[in-house]
Amino acid sequence: MEFVAQQTMNALSFGAEYALLALGLAIVFSIMGLVNFAHGEIIAVGGYTMVAMAALSLNNPFIVIGAAILVASIGSVALERVAFRPVRYADPTTGLLTAFGVSIVLQNLFLLLVSPRPIAVTSLYFLEWPISFAGLRISSLQLFETLTTIIVIVVMMLFLKKTVLGLAMRAAAMDFEMVRLTGIRANRVFAAAFLISGLLAGIACVFIMARRGSVDPHLGFDPVLMAFVACVVGGFGSLPGAVIGGFLLGAIEVTMLVLLPQSLGGMTDAFVFGSIALLLIWRPDGILTPPREKGDKQ
Amino acid sequence: MSLSRSQKRGLVGASLLAFVLIMVGTIATYFGSKYQLRIVYGSYVSLMVVLALQVFMGNARITNLSHSAFMGIGAYAAAICVTPIAMKKISLPNAPWGLNAFALDPVTSGIIAIVITAVIALLVGLFIVRLSGIGATIVSLAVLVIVHSLFLYRTDIFKGNQAFFGIPQVFTLTSAIIIAVIMVYIVRGFKESRWGIALRASADDEISAAAMGVNVHRLRLLAWVLSGVLLGVAGIAYSYYLGTISARPFYFNHVFLTLAMLILGGMRTVTGAVLGTFLISFGLEWVRWLETGPTVLGLKFPEVLGLSGVVLGSVIVLIMALRPGGIMGDREIEDFILKK
Amino acid sequence: MLVIQNLKVFHGPIEAVHGISFTVKEGSCVSLLGPNGAGKTSTISAITGVAKSTGSIKFADEDISVLPVETRIRKGIAVSPEGRRVFANLSVRENLRLGGAYNPNDIDSLIAEWFETFPILGERQHQLAGTLSGGEQQMLAIARALMSEPRILLLDEPSLGLAPKIVTQIFTMIEQLKEKRMTILLVEQNATLALRLSDHAYLLNNGHIVADGTAETLGSNDTLMAELTGLG
Repeated sequence: MEFVAQQTMNALSFGAEYALLALGLAIVFSIMGLVNFAHGEIIAVGGYTMVAMAALSLNNPFIVIGAAILVASIGSVALERVAFRPVRYADPTTGLLTAFGVSIVLQNLFLLLVSPRPIAVTSLYFLEWPISFAGLRISSLQLFETLTTIIVIVVMMLFLKKTVLGLAMRAAAMDFEMVRLTGIRANRVFAAAFLISGLLAGIACVFIMARRGSVDPHLGFDPVLMAFVACVVGGFGSLPGAVIGGFLLGAIEVTMLVLLPQSLGGMTDAFVFGSIALLLIWRPDGILTPPREKGDKQ
Repeated sequence: MSLSRSQKRGLVGASLLAFVLIMVGTIATYFGSKYQLRIVYGSYVSLMVVLALQVFMGNARITNLSHSAFMGIGAYAAAICVTPIAMKKISLPNAPWGLNAFALDPVTSGIIAIVITAVIALLVGLFIVRLSGIGATIVSLAVLVIVHSLFLYRTDIFKGNQAFFGIPQVFTLTSAIIIAVIMVYIVRGFKESRWGIALRASADDEISAAAMGVNVHRLRLLAWVLSGVLLGVAGIAYSYYLGTISARPFYFNHVFLTLAMLILGGMRTVTGAVLGTFLISFGLEWVRWLETGPTVLGLKFPEVLGLSGVVLGSVIVLIMALRPGGIMGDREIEDFILKK
Repeated sequence: MLVIQNLKVFHGPIEAVHGISFTVKEGSCVSLLGPNGAGKTSTISAITGVAKSTGSIKFADEDISVLPVETRIRKGIAVSPEGRRVFANLSVRENLRLGGAYNPNDIDSLIAEWFETFPILGERQHQLAGTLSGGEQQMLAIARALMSEPRILLLDEPSLGLAPKIVTQIFTMIEQLKEKRMTILLVEQNATLALRLSDHAYLLNNGHIVADGTAETLGSNDTLMAELTGLG
């Protein structure tokens, strides 16, 4: 029984992280049809910010966390302004390729301007300590991550339901031109989407850094890949789908870790993706069908 | 069988490109150092991949991100079939299904590899062609990841990231040139064939095309499988020259590189595919040389690792923002010589 | 209030409207009539800024032709576009809130007023706009446009695809707006209904204005009317 509870906790915290990452991707995609591959580099930017804080001897955890989230959010908005605005109204493929290009440029800029080697980030180690209660042994980090994700999801739901900007973002996913025709500035909607995306990346970065303890130029690749797969599973572009996809992915990964015999320990990735493949065969559009694509008359 | 006007122009265009390919290849064969020969061979293999990409992306107007995976399938299939038994026993001691107990000649191995790649392409394609543009792209990305993780996982068959060595090196640059030239004719031929034309028309307006009786899904599948076959051939050419392969080159970096080549040249035309491939292949070599911090005319340049990545990424971003049609846009090479 | 001069509208490389000129005086209702493809909706798109155009567009003596879409709208132009384009994934109430997004006045009381005028919208206020009937969606589109308390209302084909009874309801609504001295530019295929309401009308065909006049002058021109209405 404890074993099941333990693994459930694992699945929840894995899933929470994937859900957080997937939401960051989904929010941008739902509004502008852009698969933002550079999302991973925003996470890396957060990581490098933490390095910078350490270099400046600012070790107060609040400052470190706050700075990472702030820089990630602003960086994301800046990225939109500089790199994605020219292809804003282009077709999704152009956007996707631009995002790919931006991602490669950023990864190599990190390599070039900072260092090709991983740099240690130790200021967040304090976040992780073992907790035992009711016979369970879990890590505090898992708890924090799960709770934070739940709070983030609730806050986002409130934002999207209650604020005008949130309403505008939901409407934009359906008919962006009409949103402009009600006088709401396109720039503001896009900036808001990227800001939220950056914020989510920054929060995810905190947990990733606390676990990994180091940052390198290619840090963003794995997270963005998982975020991407989670979105595909849940139905690309759907926000609830991103969350469901993320938690499902976490569950599958933990299941594989548990089920696979020790000898095949390192093969979880392949099995996870294999399960995803089966899922896609069953439901090619993802679990929740995403909102209608613009111009799609179905 | 009479050719339409555009088909005749296509023949001229393909022949012009073939001429260029033969010229470049011949010069390299006779005057190039061993190192330069490798680079040129690599660019010809890239050209094969980019041509395969063009035949699908240029006509169906859907971005495909799984192409490196199919190249890998072709490369590994051929490698496993052709590598001598003695070699296989060393490199794949645990191979299942007696895979390390036989070895076939290069031609048979090549054919088997092409068939395997085509079948897998068909199975995957049955799904992908039903999806919308961005949906197909997303699933193709998933395919890339899945195939790659299979390569990594079954090290008993593929050796994962370790080198699968011992493949007999039966190809030379001449072989690559011949294959590339044949591919140019095939790809250009498809573009000007009634399937290519119908496919492009339906890419622009799916509903009208369907109303005219065009079976869009079947056309897409045709282009997809053709693309898969060409990718398989590219993989074989890769294996048969290098003699050693691993899973690493068949993943994101390669996808991005070949995509950049097609986009730079212009994805709508075969000329664009050729132009972009050579520009980036040779341009990148030059940038890589710069990266190492060479000494030129007594001036020592600093080492700038990562410059090639920045340049490549910037090329993509700038082209997408400023000239999404690529350098060639809609023009083929014969447009410069023949009157419109 | 709205002065259009030598307006040419482009869809890509194609010129859809070939240099038309017309005026909409404050407090009046002007109709743009004509068959399908005449260029009526293109004209509306040019005024809102969605379509590329050349020529002069002056709103309240200000040249708006270089301004982006959102800025023009904020000057007091509201549009109920062709096909209604309600936000299907938002509720009726949320649609109205978006319509009044930058209106500094009290939105909630405005919404309440609209629910009084159109009880059916009030009844369905939490329903998703996509589940409304065509007529209800049209009412919503117009109400949404008016949430910004605009100076001019552009109405594009309000009768399209609606049953005659509903159309009558909609046009009664438009008539009420007219009585409140709202400036209206109406694009309609249903010439009879439109002429009844309009102070002035322009007939478009193939991107040109081929006739204009008051309801009486146009209405008494039997050949013209026959062309427009397809009867007689």
